[in-house]
Amino acid sequence: MSVDAAVFAVSWPGERDTGTQALESEQQFNRFLADVERRALRIAEIAVRDRDEALDLVQDAMIRLVRKYGHRGSDEWAPLFYRILQNGIRDWHRRQAVRNRVMVWFRRSNGADEPYDAVADAADPLGRTPDEELENREAMASLESAVRDLPARQREAFMLRTFEGLDVAGTAVAMGCSEGSVKTHYSRAMHALRDQLLEHGPDSDRPGD
Amino acid sequence: MKEKDEQLGRRAKALFDASVDELDAASLSRLNRGRQAALAELSRQRQPWVRWLPAAGVTAAVLIAAMLLLPSPQAPVVPVAVTDMEILLGEDDIDMLEDLEFYSWIDMALQDDDVG
Repeated sequence: MSVDAAVFAVSWPGERDTGTQALESEQQFNRFLADVERRALRIAEIAVRDRDEALDLVQDAMIRLVRKYGHRGSDEWAPLFYRILQNGIRDWHRRQAVRNRVMVWFRRSNGADEPYDAVADAADPLGRTPDEELENREAMASLESAVRDLPARQREAFMLRTFEGLDVAGTAVAMGCSEGSVKTHYSRAMHALRDQLLEHGPDSDRPGD
Repeated sequence: MKEKDEQLGRRAKALFDASVDELDAASLSRLNRGRQAALAELSRQRQPWVRWLPAAGVTAAVLIAAMLLLPSPQAPVVPVAVTDMEILLGEDDIDMLEDLEFYSWIDMALQDDDVG
């Protein structure tokens, strides 16, 4: 067999391996995004108080993750995804601040004072009684309200650590700060939420689920 | 204090997970579409030439249309007088031009001899 023929003969398995790797990588991305997207939506929704805006932010974060970090290892995806999402949320708040200033200048209402209703009409998929469902929704509404009242960095640290379950190192990557800063923000967030929810809120005597 | 923090964390996580489970079908559908768009972007990145296909197609179409629609550039028409001047001013023997057919016949006959 000539050298060229030998090279050709050994190149085909490599080609197949590349195709298989691409497919596996795509399936990995699909599993990762499917796993993270719903929690990401709720985290974004709590931060911006608007589901449509949150959906746009999550979709944008998914596309940016693939575009910028598609070549990175799958263990890095979660912190990087949330870093992109948090940057998107911060940009959104900046744009809203500018927009609100413009609206105030023109003395026009932008509808930001309308009450936010996150309660859906669908039946409870977990089979809880209406009372339990209502109680949980009210508790979640109180929690959301308290989380929204936190300073932005504390809110990010709390949601990434508690809701998404990122560890300190992953949260630091997602927030773009040191692990020490994450611990400080998280501790302060817990302190503020404990004061508001456990000691003064309606669930003060309720044990954890 | 730490126990209360852990209790708060567990309670918050449980409430959050419940709210995630209650997401409506329309939102889930939009999330799915967003995910598919991201995966399509991943495929496009693996085949970078694909993103240039539309631009290449448009460019080719424009070029073909330009070739068909625009008048083709005419070969410059040189006035006869200028052609004659080149012959007159050349260093070749002008007498040869009077018997061009004769010289052409000689040339062909010599080539035939060479072949034979």
